[in-house]
Amino acid sequence: MEDSGKSSLHVESSAAEGGHFKLPVDSEQKATEFWLFSFAKPHMQAFHLSWFSFFCCFVSTFAAPPLLPVIRDNLNLTTTDIGNAGIASVSGAVFARVAMGTACDLVGPRLASASLTLLTAPAVYFTSVINSASSYLLVRFFTGFSLASFVSTQFWMSSMFSPPVVGVANGIAGGWGNLGGGATQLIMPLVYDLIHHIGSTSFTAWRIAFFIPGFMQTVSAIAVLALGQDLPNGNYRKLEKAGDKHKDSFRKVFYHGVTNYRGWILALTYGYCFGVELTIDNIIAEYFYDKFNVNLRTAGIIAASFGMANIISRPGGGLLSDWMSRRHGMRGRLWSLWVVQITGGVLCIVMGRMNNLGASIIVMILFSFFVQAACGLTFGVVPFVSRRSLGLISGMTGGGGNVGAVITQLIFFKGSKYSKETGITLMGVMILCCTLPITLIYFPQWGGLFCGPRPKATAEDYYAAEWSEDEKERGYHSASVKFAENSVREGGRKRDSSPAVPADDTPSHA
Amino acid sequence: MATAPLLRLVLVVSCIGSSMAVLFSGLPNTLTVTASPAAGQVLHAGVDQIKVSWKLNESTPASADSGYKKVKVLLCYAPVSQVDRGWRKTDDHLKKDKTCQFKVTTQPYSSGGGGSFVYSVERKIPTGTYFVRAYALDSGDTEVAYGQTTNAGKTANLFDVVGITGRHASLDVAAGCFSAFSILALVFFFVVEKRKAKK
Repeated sequence: MEDSGKSSLHVESSAAEGGHFKLPVDSEQKATEFWLFSFAKPHMQAFHLSWFSFFCCFVSTFAAPPLLPVIRDNLNLTTTDIGNAGIASVSGAVFARVAMGTACDLVGPRLASASLTLLTAPAVYFTSVINSASSYLLVRFFTGFSLASFVSTQFWMSSMFSPPVVGVANGIAGGWGNLGGGATQLIMPLVYDLIHHIGSTSFTAWRIAFFIPGFMQTVSAIAVLALGQDLPNGNYRKLEKAGDKHKDSFRKVFYHGVTNYRGWILALTYGYCFGVELTIDNIIAEYFYDKFNVNLRTAGIIAASFGMANIISRPGGGLLSDWMSRRHGMRGRLWSLWVVQITGGVLCIVMGRMNNLGASIIVMILFSFFVQAACGLTFGVVPFVSRRSLGLISGMTGGGGNVGAVITQLIFFKGSKYSKETGITLMGVMILCCTLPITLIYFPQWGGLFCGPRPKATAEDYYAAEWSEDEKERGYHSASVKFAENSVREGGRKRDSSPAVPADDTPSHA
Repeated sequence: MATAPLLRLVLVVSCIGSSMAVLFSGLPNTLTVTASPAAGQVLHAGVDQIKVSWKLNESTPASADSGYKKVKVLLCYAPVSQVDRGWRKTDDHLKKDKTCQFKVTTQPYSSGGGGSFVYSVERKIPTGTYFVRAYALDSGDTEVAYGQTTNAGKTANLFDVVGITGRHASLDVAAGCFSAFSILALVFFFVVEKRKAKK
C-alpha cells in the first residue's frame, strides 16, 4: 500500500515524460506537498495560473456593483432592475458550472477554463456600450458565466495535488480566486476616480473602467493556454492519443455523478456558504453607501474587506479540513464544516441587526471569515465524493453555490419588500436551516457526522463501484485504485485499533 | 395660516443653530421660485439652460427675511423619479433627505429684492423628472425657509431632463476589437492544439 507520507520522492515512470518533478509526488504523480511561493512546473505553475484566471473572472462578474451609484443614474435603473441583474449575474453560472465539470472530465481543465474565460470576455467589453436596464441585465448574465471557471480550478487542483494537501490547494486556489469579488470593489472605484479625474464625465468614466477587468480576463486565459498543463504528465489530448489515459464516456460520468446523493447535499450546503458570499458581493457596497451615507470610495473599501478576507479565510478552511483529517479522518472534515457554517449563519443574523457603522463592519468581517472558511471546508470533502465523476460533482456543488445565490437574492433582495438589513438577517436564518443536511452525509469506509464506518468497507470498494466489471477488466479504473490507496488517511488516526461502530442508519451509497 | 407662530419657530430654530435637526415640515414657504422650463418641457443635459429666479412672497411681511443670509438653489427629483429608488428617498430630516441632490447655485440673499441665476444643465444630471427648490440659509448655513417651483404635493409644473448616454463611438470600436481578439486567440490555440495532437 502506498505510503502517502510527505517526504517520499517516489516517482513511477508509468507515463512518457520521464517523470522528474521538483515537488515530491505520489503514485498518480500528484504533488504531496504544497509550496506556495514556487512556480515549479507543472504543479505549482498550474496552481498560480488557475487561481489568477479565476480571480479575473470574479473581478469581472462583480465589477458593476461598486459602481452602481453611477450606473444606476446613467441607465435610470430602479431597485428592481438592480436586483434582477444581480440575480442574473449569478444564475448563468448554475448550469455553466455543471457543464464545466463534465467538460473537465472530458477535455481537461486547461482547455475548458480558457475557453470559458475567453468566450465571456466580450460580455465584459460590451458592458461599456450598454444603455438600458435590459442590456445591463444581459451583460451581467453573460459575464457571470465566467464564474464556472471555479470548477476547473478545483478540478485542476484535485488532479495535481494528493489527498493530504488537496484541501489546502483547493482552498487557496478557490479563496484567492474569490478574492476577486473583494478586490474589484477597490479596483473599480479607484479606476473610475482616476478616469473621472483625468477629465471624463462620470457617465463615460465608468464605461472606460470596464476595459480593465476585460483585459485582465483575456490575458489570464491566454496564459493558461500557453503555459498550463492538465495533468502532471501532460495534457489530455496527448495522453489519450498515447493510450495513457482512457477517454471516458459522458453518459457514464453523468450517471455516476447525479446518482451520488452526497453531491446533491453538498450542492445545497454550498449554496449557503458560497451562495451567501456571492449575494453579499452584490449588495454590500450599496448597503453601506445607502444605510450609513458613506461615499463611493469608502463603501467600496468596506465592501472589499468582505471579499478580501478570502486571502486567508477560505485557505484557512482548507487547512482546517486537512488538519482535522489527519486526526479524525473524513469525520473530522465533516464536523468542522458543519460547525463553521453554523457559526457563519449566526453571525449573518447578527450583522443584519447592527445599526452602528463600526459594529456593522466588525461583525461583517467576522462573518466573512466563517462563511468563506466553510467554502474551503466544503471543497475539502468534494474530492472524495467521486473519482470518476470528480468534475461533475465539483460542478454540481459549484452550481449549487450559485443556485443558493439566486434563490437568496430572489426571496430577500429583489424589489423593496424587505429592507436590506431584514434581508440579511433572514438570510442568516436560511443558512442555519440549509446546513442541517450535512448530518446526512455518510461514507461507508470512513463514517459520517454521527456514525462510524461500516466494518470491512474500504475506499477501494467505494471508488471501484463506479466502474463496471467489464471496464475494470480493461483497467480503466486504475486511476481510481491509486486514488483509493492515497486516501487511506481519510480513515483517521485510530483506523485499525478501535472496534468499528455498527452503523444503523446508513443510506446505501450509489 | 398664521405667520406669527411660524416666524417664532423660525427664530427659535435659527437661534439654536445647526445642532438641532432641521425638519422640512417645519420650514415656512416664504420664497417664490420660478424656473424657465414650462411644465412637461424636456431639457437635454449638457445643452440646455434653466433660468431660476426667486423672491420673497408678497404675503410675507418684509421683516421676515432678517435672518436670511444666503439662498441655496437645488435641482430636485419629482416623486415619479423616486419610485423604487431608495437612494432618492424624501425624508423630513433635511440631513437625511435625498430629494435634492444637485446644487444649482448658492448666493448671498439680497434683502427685499430677489435674485436670479442661469444654470447650464450639467452633464452629470441623470434622466428624470425634476423641479427646483430654493432654501434660505441663516448665518450658520442652516435652512430656515424654502420655496419651490412646484406645489406641496410635487405634482404641478415639473419638467424633464434627458441625461447624456456617456457612450462614444471610440468605446464601441474598442469593445468590438478587444472582443474579436479574445475569440481569435481561442481559435488560434485550438488550431495549434489539434496540430500538435496529430503529430
